[in-house]
Amino acid sequence: MKHIQKSAIALMLTVGVGFVSCTKLEEKLNSSLTADQAQSILLKSTDVSVLLQACYDGLQGFQSQDVATSLEENSSDESLVPTRGGDWDDNGVWRVIHAHTWNADHAQVGGVFNSLLGVVFNTTNVLNFSPSASQAAEARFIRAFAMYTVLDLYGQVPFREAGENLLNAPKVLKGAEAATFIIAELNAIKAALPNGPSAGGPAFKANKDAADVLLMKMYLNKGAYGNRATPTFDAADMNAAITIARSLSTKFTISANVWDNYAPSNDVIGKENIFTNQNIGGSRGGNVRAAWYKTNHYNMNKSGWNGFTTLAAVYDKFEATDTRLGVNYPDPAGVLPNPAKVNTTGFLIGQQFDLKTGAALKDRKGAPLAFTRAVALQESGTNLEVTGIRYWRYVVDNKDGNDGQPDNDYVFFRYSDVVLMEAEAILRGGTAQGGVTALSLVNSLRSKRGATAATSVILKNADQNSADAGGAISLLNERQREFHWDGWRRQDQIRFGTFLSPNALKPVTDAKYLLFPIPNGALAVNPNLTQNPGY
Amino acid sequence: MTMETLKPNSLAESLIVCFFVQKCVQNTRLLIIKLLFMNVKMLARLTLVGLFACVLSLFSQAQNKTVSGKVTDAKDGSPLAGASVVVKGSKTGSQTGADGSFKISIPASATTLVVSSVGFGSQNVDIQGKTSVDISLAATSDNIGEVVVIGYGTARKKDLTGAITSVKAKDFNQGPITTPDQLIQGKVAGLQVINNSGQPGSATTIRIRGNSSVRSGNSPLFVIDGIPLDGRNARPGLNANGIGQTPDANPLYFYNPNDIASMDVLKDASATAIYGSRGANGVIMITTKKGSVGAPKIDFSANIGQNTVRKKYKVLNAAEYKAALSSYALTSGNDGSDVDAQDAIFRKGYIQNYNLGIGGGNENGKYRFSLGYSDQNGVILKSNLKKYNIGMNGQYKFLESKRLSLDFNLLAAHNTDIGVPVTNDAGFQGNLVGMALQWNPTRALYKSNGDLNIVPGESVVNPLAMSAGYDDLADITNIFATVGLGYKITDNLDYKFNISLNTQTGVRKATEAPYITIPGVEGRGFGFYANSELNSQVLQHTLNYNKKLTSALSMTALLGYEYQKFSYKGSGMSAQDFTNQGDVSFASIMQNSSAASRSIYSWNDPSSELQSYFGRLGFNYEDKYLLTATFRADGSSKFGSNNKYGYFPSAAFAWNIHNEGFMKGNNTFSSLKLRASYGVTGNSSFPAGSAQSQYTFGQQSIALANVANPDLKWESTKQFDLGLDFELASGVLYGSVDYFNRNTTNILFNFDAIQPAPATKYWVNLPGNVKNNGIEVSLGAAIIKKKDLQWNAQFNIAFLSNKLENYNGPAVLTGAISGQGLSGASVQRLTSGQPLNAFYMKEFMGLDQTGNSTFRDNGNTLYYIGNPNPKQLFGLSTDLTYKKWSFVANFNGAAGHDIYNNTLNALIPIGNLGSRNVASSLIGVSPKESLANPITTSTRYLEKGDYLKLANLSASYNVGTLGSLKNVRVFFTATNLFIITKYSGFDPEVNTDKNIGGVPSLGIEYTPYPAVKGFNIGFNFNL
Repeated sequence: MKHIQKSAIALMLTVGVGFVSCTKLEEKLNSSLTADQAQSILLKSTDVSVLLQACYDGLQGFQSQDVATSLEENSSDESLVPTRGGDWDDNGVWRVIHAHTWNADHAQVGGVFNSLLGVVFNTTNVLNFSPSASQAAEARFIRAFAMYTVLDLYGQVPFREAGENLLNAPKVLKGAEAATFIIAELNAIKAALPNGPSAGGPAFKANKDAADVLLMKMYLNKGAYGNRATPTFDAADMNAAITIARSLSTKFTISANVWDNYAPSNDVIGKENIFTNQNIGGSRGGNVRAAWYKTNHYNMNKSGWNGFTTLAAVYDKFEATDTRLGVNYPDPAGVLPNPAKVNTTGFLIGQQFDLKTGAALKDRKGAPLAFTRAVALQESGTNLEVTGIRYWRYVVDNKDGNDGQPDNDYVFFRYSDVVLMEAEAILRGGTAQGGVTALSLVNSLRSKRGATAATSVILKNADQNSADAGGAISLLNERQREFHWDGWRRQDQIRFGTFLSPNALKPVTDAKYLLFPIPNGALAVNPNLTQNPGY
Repeated sequence: MTMETLKPNSLAESLIVCFFVQKCVQNTRLLIIKLLFMNVKMLARLTLVGLFACVLSLFSQAQNKTVSGKVTDAKDGSPLAGASVVVKGSKTGSQTGADGSFKISIPASATTLVVSSVGFGSQNVDIQGKTSVDISLAATSDNIGEVVVIGYGTARKKDLTGAITSVKAKDFNQGPITTPDQLIQGKVAGLQVINNSGQPGSATTIRIRGNSSVRSGNSPLFVIDGIPLDGRNARPGLNANGIGQTPDANPLYFYNPNDIASMDVLKDASATAIYGSRGANGVIMITTKKGSVGAPKIDFSANIGQNTVRKKYKVLNAAEYKAALSSYALTSGNDGSDVDAQDAIFRKGYIQNYNLGIGGGNENGKYRFSLGYSDQNGVILKSNLKKYNIGMNGQYKFLESKRLSLDFNLLAAHNTDIGVPVTNDAGFQGNLVGMALQWNPTRALYKSNGDLNIVPGESVVNPLAMSAGYDDLADITNIFATVGLGYKITDNLDYKFNISLNTQTGVRKATEAPYITIPGVEGRGFGFYANSELNSQVLQHTLNYNKKLTSALSMTALLGYEYQKFSYKGSGMSAQDFTNQGDVSFASIMQNSSAASRSIYSWNDPSSELQSYFGRLGFNYEDKYLLTATFRADGSSKFGSNNKYGYFPSAAFAWNIHNEGFMKGNNTFSSLKLRASYGVTGNSSFPAGSAQSQYTFGQQSIALANVANPDLKWESTKQFDLGLDFELASGVLYGSVDYFNRNTTNILFNFDAIQPAPATKYWVNLPGNVKNNGIEVSLGAAIIKKKDLQWNAQFNIAFLSNKLENYNGPAVLTGAISGQGLSGASVQRLTSGQPLNAFYMKEFMGLDQTGNSTFRDNGNTLYYIGNPNPKQLFGLSTDLTYKKWSFVANFNGAAGHDIYNNTLNALIPIGNLGSRNVASSLIGVSPKESLANPITTSTRYLEKGDYLKLANLSASYNVGTLGSLKNVRVFFTATNLFIITKYSGFDPEVNTDKNIGGVPSLGIEYTPYPAVKGFNIGFNFNL
């Protein structure tokens, strides 16, 4: 027993000493990298393309129904989400956007701010990792695009240089200053950017052509970013936009079928597309399916959420022959034969049919599923499931396995926008180049869309809700026909001065709604932000 | 396993049994390998030597005379377990077993035994010429002498300076208890235990003295036999297509309630500061049953029972539905059948429980081996939880001097958990209970040919199809092993070394059939297979010193070091579009899916280490003045580089007034003690990795994913406690009153990041205070104390108040409300001047004449209105023993709080009429509600949560000896017999997890697994 006692004491001492020795408490991350590891790995064994991919993925935020496009469209005169009894009240978040009564607590206002500035951060962070000139340019283009969207919505853009301490409040670029910064950025990086679709490059990467289009957007809206209530348009800016448009006009044409640009294979057949966000069917991508889920009734092919509608005044702006009103686009997946031969793109009005069987559809209460012209912000009748005209911007991807991740790339910039922006720049005092006129540009588009040729073109009608009379075309209406539900309407209405004007479902609204408020959470942590006036 | 294999009567056999239990083999081996990897070869060797020695010692017999006997309570003749029987003037001794009997081998020359027991006096017994003696001991005091478990040790209750409530096994709640926390519900003043739902093994919400944390980690620290637990559970999470997030399982559901001897709830800073950065929410110490000296004894218990849904939701039946359709002039919606979908998915849930314990030992060592099996069918079709438990522990002493000791404790469990699609956040589809509530009662569940009534493409889901087409099986294995070595260096100085490993592995498989008509599932199906692994290690060194400094002053001291490491990792895959339409589970044939639908992931959370130094110093002057001071330094790898260490001191003073001279001759108080304590404790419940930059991996992408905060540290709670313990007339009436005041600062919060930033939130210590204060009262009385009739009652109540103060940031939203028309809605806020989780919503002012809701200020203003934190918590227990009969009743309740009924708000509104079912309460009221009345959140669905519940009532009959069976007892227990409440939902004891971004919600019901009532009958005996 004695030697057990000795060995026991020896053991105690060994164990004691062995285990009391302190650990340094260094944290092991296991499935993520520390900043130092990321530096060394990205610099040595791979490259920053993986970081860049995360930036592109950040733009997927545009594809859902409740993000930037909701703020840009539902606040305008061409989209709303009516409360339908039990559906889409969501504590009023949708109604306040269309009615212009939102505040700084609005969840979408906060969410969009954070998500876009997350993209701004990720793109800036790429610059910390010694990217190639082309990669740096890509990152800076995506950053410029995200900053421009923040500027468009909020009028202020917090900005950090690469490597800044994230616990410190960054500086804030405001209004025209931010616009100038973005324009300078785009000019600085354009040469280093990859080739765009005009030279065989993909539209889903940052590219030279996309930089051109964003520059045109900046030139046209710069005056509005300086003063939203009464925008001014500098002739030099207009001319700069026209020059860019001329150069692009030699490289692009308008598609014979506008809907090809929104089809599941639009990365191949969408010849007008200049900048998109890539989706690969069933494999990766964003929530582009919201484009049809948000508007489809439960009992339609793709059972949807029965929400978003457009207004009758918008529908009435189209001629019957205009293909932008909708066409029977054959199902690319070949799943839905559409025996009733109804339109499968564009506006959905009146009785709807099962695209598989051709049978007339019913709503959940057994009434005919026939969408009405009339709609209210808050529905109250027995027909509340079927009110409002619906709209399919994208060609539905019915391919098996693609439901969660459809193949349609999400479209930001199309060539037809270049054409209409050039026409607008001319109408706003720019000097036409290359023998075109605003009217010839508008007609070049209208002829491809099956609309009758215009005899004259003006910026806007006295009442923006009215249809064009005969051949006298308003550019604002033409933009609506061409880009309905594409996310441009609020910006266009502000630039054309009609954003606060009444439409069927809202009265004249206060000038403070020309900007969204800075979210309360962001204001609390960055003293360099000041709340927008009126909030 | 058959009964034959369950009768090992030696440790060696116990070991063999354990090793052959199939489910445990791999994990036990894994553990042993890990033990070796800990680089403690010597330890392992000694462990084996020790085990071998233990086994040998069982068979060794001294050549002395043997005396046997039984020790009983003089009061009622009941057996006294654990009483000490020692030869006078020597160290030779033994302890009594569970039936009070002992058998002791003593030198032939011995003449007197000293028999004593905690809480009883001691008695000298003459044994000259006797081989058998029976002794009855008189109680000195019922409560004050008992031993309670404190951090890193034990203490006599009379020496305590802190607020600790100890609940022994005999006082536990009765009935079909699945998890240990249910044992003490309603038993401890200031302890709130909410069974979140009626699902077997579901999580409970446990709060000691209210909520002190804004973000997360409001649960107390659980410590089993001295080893702190991780507090998480390795059941992989599941978010199956279209159904939402399934609720968490209870982290304690591996532990067998039947293996627990006592639970001690540490409430004030004096008691909890020794746990430093994890002590702020209180500590619950679980002590498992140990063997006792004597020949091997077997105790066995078995019970069977049946549960049913306590209360169905009131929705329309077929006749009422038809009447409602016609009153609203709806022409469609009557399908002509008559069904009750709730009846269709609910069932009687049968329960069975078997427990076997084998314990024994001698003066050199004790052991206990236990087996438990429980099989609990839930009250929803398919739902089931099976638990297999093995426990094995031993306490051995070595060397002639008995200075070396070895303890070991192995708790192994395997749970098989069959889940049902009852989720926290589904929309109008996706939750089985929700589907049943909404099912049109005139619509057949089956077609005339016996097939399920499924209409492809339809948004309404047949609940029976959902049930049939959904499979969810989780297999989780938990191994908890501890080895302790002790050495008594001098008579005053003890050294103890503990090493403990806890490993949990979970596998979960789920399938959704393609005939379930939920978009994304219909026509495609869904298969899921995931696993996760949770590991923790604990090493402890403690030195305990006890010394009588003078005849009046004694001192105790504790010095310790503790190291802990935690890791959590896992992987999973899901897929769709299986060609197989047969009976094979999709989870078993993932390769059959379409390549495009497959998704894989794996994760390995940052591991965290906690290294601590702690000490406690106690002084006792003449048993009148007691002083305790504790200190702990916690270093954590989670804390930011600028705050690696945190320091947590406490001090407490107690005055045993009854020992004062001036109390001499006072016959009223047998005990009167005043306590005061103050201290600082912490909360460090934030994810590891939050303090430093992390680049995470996406699909072919890498991005910085968080904002590093090197200043991040623990949340700090300062707590003051003033308490009075008293006992009147030697235990006829006893109790305690405590006032506490807790102030939490440096609030851990996931706050808005400063944009542009890689994440929308990051972890900070927010300025602000969470203040909790309250009064706790516990009262107990031995109302009748006769030989044949005893009646005892205990009552406790806590008055609590909670408020967030000095917080300047924007209000934080939580309490997400789910359902159609409620996307993004929430009803709770954290803001200064309000209690945590204050309800914030529109105030409902009734229906107008058109049947539409009206609101105060037209609904343009939202109000702070309602509080989910109870103002009072109470519990009442009473037991009555008459001869061989005993009856026990346990009540619990809460008052002064509100519950938000998301079920009523979202799932069964008036607009459903014509296609789905509606709540009965909406029909036959005036004005008649419009079918177009929008669904929105408001006080219309905020209800009073007050309740009083008869949680369990049990009757038992002590048969006594039956053949060779001893202490045979048969019992009957009824649970949830009645409840007094105005709450209209399933049960006011509910807490559906409706967090937003990790900010916890409280007091919201959303189609939970319903609460149950039931009964069970059983028996137990000793051998």
